[in-house]
Amino acid sequence: MTATTPLRTWQHASAVALAVSAALWAFFVWRAPIDAMQGPIQKILYVHVPVVLGAYLGFFLTALGGGLYLWRREERWDRLAAAAAEVGVLFCTLVLVTGPIWAKGTWGRWWTWDLRLTLTLLLYLVYVSYLLLRSFTEGSERAARFAAVYAIAGLAVIPLNYFAIDLAGGRTVHPENLGRGSLGAGMRAPFALGMLTAVAAFAHLLVRRLEVGALRSERDRREAEAFREEA
Amino acid sequence: MSALLRARGLAKRFGPLLALAPLDLELGPGQALAVLGPNGAGKSTLLRLLAGLARPSAGTLEIGPGSASRSRRRRAIGLVGHATFLYPALTTRENLVLTARLYGLDAPAERAQRMLAEEELLAVAERRAGALSRGLAQRAAIARALLHGPQLLLLDEPWTGLDARAAARLSRRLEAEQAAGRALVIVSHDLARVAGLAARALVLVRGRAAWLGPEALGDEKALGDAYAASVNRLEAAA
Amino acid sequence: MNALVAILWKDLLSEWRSRDRVVAMGVFALLVVIVLYLAAPPGSGPEARAHVPGLLWVAWSFAGVLGLNRAFALELENEALSGLALAPVERGFLFLGKALASFVLLLVVQLASALAFALAFDLDLRPVAGRLALVAALGAAGLCTIGTLFSAIAVRTQYREVMLPLLLLPLLVPVLLGAVRATNALLLEGTLPWPALQLLLVTDGVFAIVSFLSFEVVLDE
Repeated sequence: MTATTPLRTWQHASAVALAVSAALWAFFVWRAPIDAMQGPIQKILYVHVPVVLGAYLGFFLTALGGGLYLWRREERWDRLAAAAAEVGVLFCTLVLVTGPIWAKGTWGRWWTWDLRLTLTLLLYLVYVSYLLLRSFTEGSERAARFAAVYAIAGLAVIPLNYFAIDLAGGRTVHPENLGRGSLGAGMRAPFALGMLTAVAAFAHLLVRRLEVGALRSERDRREAEAFREEA
Repeated sequence: MSALLRARGLAKRFGPLLALAPLDLELGPGQALAVLGPNGAGKSTLLRLLAGLARPSAGTLEIGPGSASRSRRRRAIGLVGHATFLYPALTTRENLVLTARLYGLDAPAERAQRMLAEEELLAVAERRAGALSRGLAQRAAIARALLHGPQLLLLDEPWTGLDARAAARLSRRLEAEQAAGRALVIVSHDLARVAGLAARALVLVRGRAAWLGPEALGDEKALGDAYAASVNRLEAAA
Repeated sequence: MNALVAILWKDLLSEWRSRDRVVAMGVFALLVVIVLYLAAPPGSGPEARAHVPGLLWVAWSFAGVLGLNRAFALELENEALSGLALAPVERGFLFLGKALASFVLLLVVQLASALAFALAFDLDLRPVAGRLALVAALGAAGLCTIGTLFSAIAVRTQYREVMLPLLLLPLLVPVLLGAVRATNALLLEGTLPWPALQLLLVTDGVFAIVSFLSFEVVLDE
């Protein structure tokens, strides 16, 4: 029980933050002007761009958790890594779903091998491989160790992939950054709130998943105790 | 006399299964400890923990002086496990030379030659390890473990598969090592052999331990009785 | 350092005696060259042939993965891997020894298949031979460093044959893109683009460092 109490607080806090942020965000998205060139489909960007943040944040936390686990050998860091990976892959899936929807609506193609798309697809593959590695390694300590090494390698490869795809000429299609005045009036608020909502959603999901992890550990510990009593 | 091995609260858990309940253990130079118990009791787990192959779930383990580096700790240990650690595609000699080089020994070829002679393995020196009989492979594994002159010898069922002559030679060798100041931890079902070597015994039943002192290790009969009594007690306590 | 050479010698000696890895890799690479030849025969237009250097890297990388899969299989018999884990040597050197062995084997296969390739497609590789060898070596190095690390991991999981390519392929993108870019430029234009070379060098360096340092924890039970 003691392990979950601080998490509970975070859970409630992030739930509140999420609710407020999401409400404001939805309001501003609804009120945002329809883009002259792209039409209503442009509004999916208010989802797409924020979830990208979640996807990359997730992997960063996975690698961080893994690194801290290898350094400290404390189970809670491995729980962070596992939780961040599951939440992150969810966000990454959303990126890869909302992106093509928007692309089809505006450029007329579901997919192109452009820099950011390819980079995110590769991230997705690394996520999936990470989760499979965790599943298929026997022994939780070994799985934690192997997964940590893989996550660190995966993180190191993200900038390498960026340069690699750039080299292969993948910079072309994806729209450049939406800062610096390219945002029309009424678009700044929904974007900003979208980012905030994404962070709040990520935090909330992460905390809930951490709670599940903590409960599982607790259960394992009690089973071990019970086993010893019997033995 | 400083202890070679100090374990405090050493425990190992595999998920919900407690393979080894927290254990305190100390061993000094020239001391031998027998580890006894039924199958699946946690004996091999203990040995692997002491060898540094597996990390303990709880507790501390010190090999050599407290400040010893990882490298020095590993150098101090020789393990004869269930598996031989031999590369089947390499000859017996080549396996020993490889081990000598891995342990940074001077003149690896000479060291290997000497060990082959000492362990009467010259006849099969050029045979591939994969083609060795069980007994010969076991002898090669023992040679491999002793090659770098470890301070602490950990042996898991070392007499398995050995013929009478080889078994006697191993016992003599272990006595000599002990006299030279090496510490031994021997897991074995062969009560007669360990009774002659060890002054103390640890009886493990399902991860829990009981100690037997020198009076129990006088001879095979005494040890057999004490062991049986211990096992019954541990199982009843469960 | 001694340990590195010892491991390298052991792997190459074992391979020399059984020759199973290099034969499997070589046959595989040869098959791919044959398939390429049938799919894009020399007569077909320059567009079809432009992709061929990239496909050569497909052959090489799959052959490489095939070899890497077997690299740790030989450590499983008699728990030889535990024997290595006991050694009082910086485990990174054990990694280097094994990675170098795989590297050497892959180079041999690359050489043989490059010759087959040149023969099939009637290419004169002599003007670019040196630089092509460099690119092949850099690509093989990237593959063998991170591949050896993941092979050590994969061999202790379920579905180990599938696990290695699964873990490896997303991370090989920088190596493959750099190598393909460079190979393309070499074969089609006779130039060696510095950015591609740079990418290969940086990636190889990063992979080597990460693998060297991680091997300590990977070799634990």
